[in-house]
Amino acid sequence: MRAIAAIARKDLRLLFRDKGDVFFTFVFPVVIAVLFGFVFGGGSGGGGTIDLAVVRESDSTLARGLADDLAKDPSFTTTSFETREAAADAVRAGKATAAVILPKSLDAGLEGLFSGQGIAIDAVVDPSRRAEAGLIQGKLNELAFRQFPKLFSNSTEMKRAYSAARDSIANARGLSPTQKLLGAGMITAAESFSSSIGGEPTADTGAAPASDGAFFAPIAVKVEELAPRAGRPRAAFDVTFPQGIVWGLAGCFGAFAASLVTERSRGTLDRLRLAPITAFHLISGKAIACLVAGLLVQALVFTVAILFFGARIAQPAMLVVAAFAAAFAFAGLAMALAAFCRTEAEANGAGRGAILILALIGGGTIPLFFMPPFLRTLSYGSPFRWAVAAIEGPFWRDTPLSEQVVPLVVLIGIGFLGWIVGARALWRPFAR
Amino acid sequence: MLALRDIRRRFGQTTAVDGLSLEVRAGEVFGLLGPNGAGKSTTIAIATGLLAPDSGSVDLLGMGSPSDPKVRMHLGLAPQEITLYAELTARENLRFFADLYGVADARARVDELLALVELDARAHDRVSTFSGGMKRRLNLAAALVHDPRLVLLDEPTAGVDPQSRNRILELVRRLASEGKTVVYTTHYMEEAAKICDRVGIVDHGRLLDVGTVAELVARHGGQSAVTVERDGVEQRILTADPVAEVARQFTLVDGGADGGTGPVTGVRIERPDLETVFLALTGRSLRE
Repeated sequence: MRAIAAIARKDLRLLFRDKGDVFFTFVFPVVIAVLFGFVFGGGSGGGGTIDLAVVRESDSTLARGLADDLAKDPSFTTTSFETREAAADAVRAGKATAAVILPKSLDAGLEGLFSGQGIAIDAVVDPSRRAEAGLIQGKLNELAFRQFPKLFSNSTEMKRAYSAARDSIANARGLSPTQKLLGAGMITAAESFSSSIGGEPTADTGAAPASDGAFFAPIAVKVEELAPRAGRPRAAFDVTFPQGIVWGLAGCFGAFAASLVTERSRGTLDRLRLAPITAFHLISGKAIACLVAGLLVQALVFTVAILFFGARIAQPAMLVVAAFAAAFAFAGLAMALAAFCRTEAEANGAGRGAILILALIGGGTIPLFFMPPFLRTLSYGSPFRWAVAAIEGPFWRDTPLSEQVVPLVVLIGIGFLGWIVGARALWRPFAR
Repeated sequence: MLALRDIRRRFGQTTAVDGLSLEVRAGEVFGLLGPNGAGKSTTIAIATGLLAPDSGSVDLLGMGSPSDPKVRMHLGLAPQEITLYAELTARENLRFFADLYGVADARARVDELLALVELDARAHDRVSTFSGGMKRRLNLAAALVHDPRLVLLDEPTAGVDPQSRNRILELVRRLASEGKTVVYTTHYMEEAAKICDRVGIVDHGRLLDVGTVAELVARHGGQSAVTVERDGVEQRILTADPVAEVARQFTLVDGGADGGTGPVTGVRIERPDLETVFLALTGRSLRE
């Protein structure tokens, strides 16, 4: 135990005495978090698409038309869900930015419109993506209006609507016979006009209606934020600080990968091999040092986030678990990288290169929701994504434990895999 | 103390050690003398267990192979390269190695070693600020931190100034006087002759001969040469007893047919040394 502690202490000392490592491990993450926080604080996103979970409870022409148009719209990438709950879970888990529910009431189609009920669409949005909520609301209005020409030119739908309207007028108790006759006459005239312009659906021009719905608001998009939890983000910084943390972990990862290679290239590994210690002692010592550095950087970034940016931690205990898991994963990666590098130049080059690539595809620089779908798929291969997910959950999302398990398990898996690869490489020189 | 038996080791097509056998006795300073690339460092690496031989065996203290950590505890190595952490201080380096070896009262041991290598005044300075000689001394101190019975010093004076070299040689003598066994590799024959009780001549991975310097010279050095000058003419005479020969020359009136005439005006004695021995054994100079 004394040898393991000595190795860990020595590695931490070396880390803190290297100005470059200190910068990349402790300063750079805070800079990244603050900078990106300001960049994304008031923005509404870039050129990427928004992930939408779509629930179609109605099988009406209107509902189908809306669902199809949402799927075709270049602003969205849609995924169908069977229930509202499943869609809300997807939003909560960060798999979708918002959920759009096309409710059963859409079955009424134009009848609903004529009977004054309007068209109601429900949307559930991730509270951290308010910027996109407005865009989604506007788009839904636009797409709903686009359905009107289709409905009015659909002979079956129109006949059904006219028939329902006639029945409604005939059965209305408050109307005099004269009023009923007048109403029926208007319905017949409208039906004749409708027949004269043809029964086939009109081409979709894609243009929004001229009306802004100020005096006639047949479409009501009811936006609901997910039931706010304790960790609801107060600012973009809540989102960018976890990103900063993974940059700090990446800094540790680079520094410790290089330290192992340096031991080899500068001959100190031979001294370690001569000492009465095993590869287990060496790996454990380095693991503890990397882990401690990883936890320190997280503590630092969270302290800055809380003291200067008003962040609140939703689940402190779980955050500690997530911090351990993230630090463990990056420590494992450091060992694995060291196993593949023979020289310090290789470790520095490959290390920084790997960090950049993994950060880019894992949302370490640009948030995932700004990325095109193929990059978002690729991000599953980046530990950055999992680390951000694991930290965000207990930090501000306040996600239930069941949803935090996956990123934690993935991170621990990455860590173990890295340790095995690194240990195998280190074990060889110790085996005589 | 240390026995290497028929050690062989190849690196690709190059044979680094070729059937080398030697025995180092307890308490002696044993020198491995040979030019660069002779196989000295490979022999040391095999002796310490850092490198596995292709064939042959190593026995340390009669306890077996140094691959066993319990056996390895009794040896200390100062490698040819400076294997220290440049950004740690002298004290931190020694303390780290003391902790690795589980040294009891590590603080006192570190103080003792810093004083031994005369670096106590620089104990809190980072190694990166040290001169080459200071780094060498600290490198040696790191090998002694756990008070090993056998110390292997691989070219410990390489690249240091004469003052630091003398300090290191004094240190080696002091270790020997404390009863430690020292294996010392060098390509400087003066060093080997100065501090080694016995010397093994190594070339092309083979141990050519082992013995005290006197024994090696007697076996391979040939006779001493006395150069006598008379009236500007030099005469070189080979003899087993140069002192007696000089005395004899002063009794002669002239140098005979090959020498000059008149009294002796100058005398120079050339005794055979390890360089001569190496030349005789390999046909080339140590410095080639």
